[in-house]
Amino acid sequence: MTAREAVGLVARREISQRAREKSFLVGTGVSVVIILLVVTLPSLLGFGGREEFTITVQEPAAAVVADAAVREARAFDADVAIVRGAALSDVDAVLTRDGIRAQEELDDTLLNILQAANQRVRTAAALRDAGLDDAQAARALSPRPLKLTTVEPVSDGEDRAGFAFFAVLLLYGQLIGIGIFVAMGVVEEKSSRVVELLLSTIRPTHLLAGKVIGLGLLGLGQLLAIAVVGLAVAGASGAVDVDADLLTAAGLALAWFVVGYAFYGAAFACAASLVSRQEDLQSVLTPLQMLLLVGFFLSFGVNNDPDGTLAVVCSFLPPVAPMIMPARIALGEASAVEIVGAFAVTLAAAAVLIPLAARIYSGAVLRTGAAVKLRQAWAAARG
Amino acid sequence: MLELDGLTRRYGDLVALDDLSFAVAPGRMLGFVGPNGAGKTTAMRIVLGVLQADAGEVRWRGGGVDAATRARFGYMPEERGLYPKMRVRAQLAYFARLHGLDTATAEAAADRWIERLGLSDRAGDRVETLSLGNQQRVQLGVALVHDPEVLVLDEPFSGLDPTGVDVMSGVLRERAEDGVPVVFSSHQLELVERLCDDVAIIKSGRLVASGTVSELREQGRSADEQVRVQVEGDGEGRWVAGVPGAEVADAGPRGVLVRLHGGGSPDQLLDAAREAGTVTHFSLERPSLSDLFRQVVAA
Repeated sequence: MTAREAVGLVARREISQRAREKSFLVGTGVSVVIILLVVTLPSLLGFGGREEFTITVQEPAAAVVADAAVREARAFDADVAIVRGAALSDVDAVLTRDGIRAQEELDDTLLNILQAANQRVRTAAALRDAGLDDAQAARALSPRPLKLTTVEPVSDGEDRAGFAFFAVLLLYGQLIGIGIFVAMGVVEEKSSRVVELLLSTIRPTHLLAGKVIGLGLLGLGQLLAIAVVGLAVAGASGAVDVDADLLTAAGLALAWFVVGYAFYGAAFACAASLVSRQEDLQSVLTPLQMLLLVGFFLSFGVNNDPDGTLAVVCSFLPPVAPMIMPARIALGEASAVEIVGAFAVTLAAAAVLIPLAARIYSGAVLRTGAAVKLRQAWAAARG
Repeated sequence: MLELDGLTRRYGDLVALDDLSFAVAPGRMLGFVGPNGAGKTTAMRIVLGVLQADAGEVRWRGGGVDAATRARFGYMPEERGLYPKMRVRAQLAYFARLHGLDTATAEAAADRWIERLGLSDRAGDRVETLSLGNQQRVQLGVALVHDPEVLVLDEPFSGLDPTGVDVMSGVLRERAEDGVPVVFSSHQLELVERLCDDVAIIKSGRLVASGTVSELREQGRSADEQVRVQVEGDGEGRWVAGVPGAEVADAGPRGVLVRLHGGGSPDQLLDAAREAGTVTHFSLERPSLSDLFRQVVAA
C-alpha cells in the first residue's frame, strides 16, 4: 500500500465514523441554529428592520393626512397601516382634524411621519388655493433631493466588524473543536489498544496524517456549511450586504482555517499521543487551548484597531495569526502583501511543526500507562 | 520459512532480546513460550514491524520483510484492541483494506469471516456492545480477514473459555494445514504440547530450548525414571521401601510417585505393589513440556 492509499484509508474512516456520530450532527445543527438566530434575531425583535405602526382616523377630515402618512412612511424606512374604527388603546396613534392622540409617549419616527404627512397635505392645499394645478403643486412639493458625495468611500463598518467577530469566533471554536476531536481520536486508539494492530499495517506518520487530514476536511466542510447558511440568511434578511468583498473575506477566513488547522491539528495529535486515557487528556491540551484563547482575545484588540502595531505583529505570529488575519481582512485593513506574508509564515511554521509532531507521536503512541514525557517520546522514535 | 535471525533489542539499559533466532516452517505451528518479561511480545512486535530491532532481521521466504510483505501477515496483539464504536462488519472490512485488499474483496472477506466465526447476527453492532467472547472472535477475524501468509498471535488463548479455546485451536490448526506458518505465545503449556509441532522457549531475551515437541520432551527426561502407582487402600507407599533402588518422590490421592534410581526396575516395583494390595494404576510418567520448561527456566 502506498503512503497515499494508507493516509486516504485512515482519513475516510475518520470522516465516515465521525460524521455519523450523534454528537457531531447535533454540534453542527446547534452551530447553524445559533448563526441563524444571531443573524435574524435583530430584525425579528424589531432592530434594524422596517418599523411598523398602526394608526386610525377619528374624523373624516383627517383621512387625507392618514393616507399621506402611509405614503410618507417609506422615506422613513417604516410602514404605517390604517386600522378603521380601532380604539385608541389598539393603535399607536389616532389622527384628529388638527391633532394626534396617543395612549403613551409617541414613537419619534411615527411622530415625524405624521408631521411630514400633515405638512405635505396642508402645503398642497395652500398651493392649490394659491392657484397652482395638481401637477404644478406636486412638482413644487417634490424638489430634486440633494446629492451626497463623500471623499472616503462609505463602508458598512458595523456590518464588517460584526462579520469579523463571527469569523474569528467560528475559527476559534472550530480550531479547538476539531483539535479536540483529533486528540480524542488519538487517545481512543491508544486506550482501546487498537493502535498496535494499526501500526502492524501502516506507519505511525500515515496514521497521524490520515487522522488529521480526515478530521480537518470534516471541520472545513462543517465551517463551509455554516458560512453558506449564515451568509445566505444574512443576505436574504438584509442584515448584511453580501458583496464580492465579503465573499472574498469569507473565503480567506476558510483558507486561514486550513493553515491554522495544519498548525494546531498536528499539535493536538502530538499532545494527545502522550497520554493513554481520556481523563488525562485535559492536562496535555491546556497549553494549546490557552494559546488559541490568547489569539481569540487578541483579536478583540485587533478588531478595535485593525491597523495598529498589535495587529501587524500578531499577524506574523503563527499560533495567533489564524484568528487575527481573518478579522483584519474582513475589516479591509490588511494589504495583499501582509495577507500573503502572514499566510506564508504560518504555513512555514506548520511545515516545521508537523514532522516534529509526527516524530513525538511515533515515539509515544505505543506507550500505554503513565503519561509519556516529550523527551522520552522523542528518544523512543527512531527511524 | 519465517526466520527470526539474531534479533536484539534494548530499552535503555534493559536487554529485551539478545540475539534471538528461530524459524517456523510453512504448515507448522510453533509454540513460543517463556516466563513473563522474557521478550516474547517484543519479538512478535518486531516481526510485525511495530517495533524496530537494534540488530538482526526477520526473513520470510528467504527475503527481507518490508511493509508490503507484512501486509500479508496476520497479527493478534497481546493487548486486544478494536475500535469500540465501529461496527463489526465495517471493522473487519477496514482492517482488510489496511492489509491492501480492495473494497469489494475486503467486504466479501469480512462477510465470510463473520459467517465463519458465528457473528452473523451481530455484524451490524458496535464492537463495544458485544460480549467479551464475541469481541475475541472479532479480534481473531481481524487477524485472519486478509488470508495471511503468516500468522503471529500473542497469547491468543488467554481469557478464552473452553469453547473459545476449541474454536481458536480449530482455526489455527486449519490455517497451519493450509500451509501457513503459525506462531503463538502462551503460558498454557499443556495446550502448546497438544497443539504445536514445534516449541521455542526463551528466557531473558535468549533462546534456551527449541525443537519439536517430542524432542523437547526427551530433553526433559531425567536419568531417573518415574512411575506412578496406585494401590487400593494405600496412601503412603510404605511397601516401596522393600524395592531396591526405589524411593517415594511424592504421595497423594493419585497414588505414589516412585523414583527409580539406576538399577531399580519397574517389574520389581510392580511385583511389590501387587503384594501390597490391588493395583488400580501403574504408569511410567513421561516428562511433560512443563517439566522441561521448569528445568530450562530455572537453570
